[in-house]
Amino acid sequence: MSTRPGRRAVLATGLAAGATAALAGCATGGTGTKGGPAPEVKKDDGKKLSGSITVWSWDVAAKALKRLAADFQQKNPGTTVTVRDIGYDSAYDKITVGLKSGSGLPDVLTVEGPRMVTYMGNFPQGFYDLTKLAGPSEKDFDKASWKTVVNPQGKVVALPWDIGPCATFYRGDYFRAAGIKPESIATWDDYVKAGEQLKKRTGRKMLILDSVEDSTFAMLLQQQGQHFYVDGKVAVDSPEGVKAATLLKTLADKGLVDYQKGWDGLVTGTKEGKAATESSAAWWMGTLTADAPELKGKFGVMPMPAFTAGGVRTSNRGGSVLAVPGQSKHPELAYAFVQFLLTSAPNQVSMLKQEGLFPAYLPALADPYLSSPQEYFGGQAALKVFADLAPSTPPVEYTKDGAKATEIMFSTISGILLRDKDPKQALESAAAQIAAATGRQRIAG
Amino acid sequence: MAAPTSTLPPAPVAAPPPPPVHRRRRHRVIPWVFAGPAAVLFIVFFAYPLGASLLQSFTAERDGASVWVGFDQYRRMASDPAFLESLFNVGLILLVQVPLMVVLALLLAGLLNQSWLRFKGTWRALYFLPAVTTLVAYAVVFQVLLKTDGGLANQFLAVFGLGPIDWLNDPAWARISLIASLTWRWAGYNAVILLAGLQAIGKEQYEAAALDGAGTFATYRRIIVPQLRPVILFCAVTSTIGTLQLFDENYVLTRGGPDNATLSPVVYLYKTGFEQLDFGYAAAIAWVVVALIAVLSIAQYFLFGREKRR
Repeated sequence: MSTRPGRRAVLATGLAAGATAALAGCATGGTGTKGGPAPEVKKDDGKKLSGSITVWSWDVAAKALKRLAADFQQKNPGTTVTVRDIGYDSAYDKITVGLKSGSGLPDVLTVEGPRMVTYMGNFPQGFYDLTKLAGPSEKDFDKASWKTVVNPQGKVVALPWDIGPCATFYRGDYFRAAGIKPESIATWDDYVKAGEQLKKRTGRKMLILDSVEDSTFAMLLQQQGQHFYVDGKVAVDSPEGVKAATLLKTLADKGLVDYQKGWDGLVTGTKEGKAATESSAAWWMGTLTADAPELKGKFGVMPMPAFTAGGVRTSNRGGSVLAVPGQSKHPELAYAFVQFLLTSAPNQVSMLKQEGLFPAYLPALADPYLSSPQEYFGGQAALKVFADLAPSTPPVEYTKDGAKATEIMFSTISGILLRDKDPKQALESAAAQIAAATGRQRIAG
Repeated sequence: MAAPTSTLPPAPVAAPPPPPVHRRRRHRVIPWVFAGPAAVLFIVFFAYPLGASLLQSFTAERDGASVWVGFDQYRRMASDPAFLESLFNVGLILLVQVPLMVVLALLLAGLLNQSWLRFKGTWRALYFLPAVTTLVAYAVVFQVLLKTDGGLANQFLAVFGLGPIDWLNDPAWARISLIASLTWRWAGYNAVILLAGLQAIGKEQYEAAALDGAGTFATYRRIIVPQLRPVILFCAVTSTIGTLQLFDENYVLTRGGPDNATLSPVVYLYKTGFEQLDFGYAAAIAWVVVALIAVLSIAQYFLFGREKRR
């Protein structure tokens, strides 16, 4: 191979831009790079909304915003809302560079919950303080996702949009062929046994994991009420962590795992029927109906297996928030748009219906649409399963160092699954690495 | 700067010469007018970010502010298993893939240089093509080729009753896949460069060798390779630099996984900087990569270049 420009050059430029901004920040005190509290949006009830704002989002989320932006403009003459689909793959590069350099960001940002925590921890000045405006709505939002919008200083800097309550999707046809009753799977032990039976009778695997960047571990950890950090200390090697990793290793050792790479691998693997189950969030329904219409009638949804009988049978995967960056020139209008979208049951329900975004806004969950039978799931009221499970999702602690732990955990889990490392030892070594990278303490494992 | 008076037309005798001080000043300004924009661009987009990133490598982010931490980031690297594994990975590629590829390129160049070969231009273009292929096409091709179920490579193996191999999901096979894909992408590129070198060798040298009774192997060993030394050096140095800066191939194929088996320092730099927002550490990694490239390039120059001077 040879030297060549390409993505690297672009990245180098990006990094340089970041560096430039860091210096500029030191010299001029640009927003986003220095410490101190976030600026506050002034509320002025008497003033009529006007002006124009830009919103960044991607995929179906952008589609939902575009659709509702038209409604918003109609209700507020004299305002313009431009929604830009910046694409998921480069979204965080753009947002990171914008926050770091203190310029170039739009008026409203879409950010996934855990990412938002990383951003607001690293850029205390990067977002508007919405406490006075959004604070009163706290009781209306899912408590797990509310944790992703409050910064370390206790200020509300975003509003939760959608959440990812989890359940287990299963192939009814495979289960029938293997003589497995979904009701009989109450714990992960039952799940492993069912998997063995399935493999023996049909030769099929039980689940799909990503060989490089799998987030099932985090989901299993949250099911047990924790994430990578507890009380600010590294906790990946806690007894809960060991349980989650051991479960994954058991499944792998028994040959019940089909490895695929990335999102596309998961989707195609599912389409091809590589595995009988997938424990995932409510938004996975949208992917199934859109990308695998031919599998209509084959899927059912049940609560996730619990770690102990009678234990929690759900978790959270994904979910996002809308924030107003500190660079916005029209924060009042930006927040008004966010509020219009997210604190309205009809708007939230319409985004669930049309774009499959499961609302974090609890009043929306009472809508009759959620208990209606769904043709794709053979007439099962699949959304109801998620709606019923959502309130029991354990809220967990996210920190600004979430991304560092995530990265190290990806390779640790791959090591356990593919290089046959001992779960406990591998997790202890991961905890040491995360502690070294973040300067945080470890909880006694 | 050229001598100012020599390039001017001779001044008319009648006219008094302009004051020398003023003239000299004007000649000092004009080159800057031409070089200025380039210099400004260089300073703004190259020199300044370079200096800034060096400074940044001595800082860490603490609650949104940059704090001076001295050599902490560099010390951290020494005990960071992911970074050390990324160095091991590129080291492996340097030792295995680069020599393999240069030898393969040399053979290809030899073939392309044969007088009996027809459609030479077409062959050259074909071998060069992978190097100019867009990353997206490259990624798609290798995903299709190396897919575990129904991928072309596994279908081929199945004909002989072998496989299937989990090419991209198994740490060891992922490394092999990466080495193979790098070779596919860059062997032809190097072959075309070596071919240019081959064509610079005069026909009379081959004739003289043939008259002296040298066989094919002896001709290669005594005539071709020594004459090609600077070109081979060029290929080796650029390939070394490319390997140390490895990003595209392993990022699109495996994202550096599984379990960091294909992680390169630059992918790690990217993840640290842009995914973990640890800019100081990322900048420090960048400078270590720069230092490694400098050291290895100089070492190669002395190892390969010395013979030439004899």
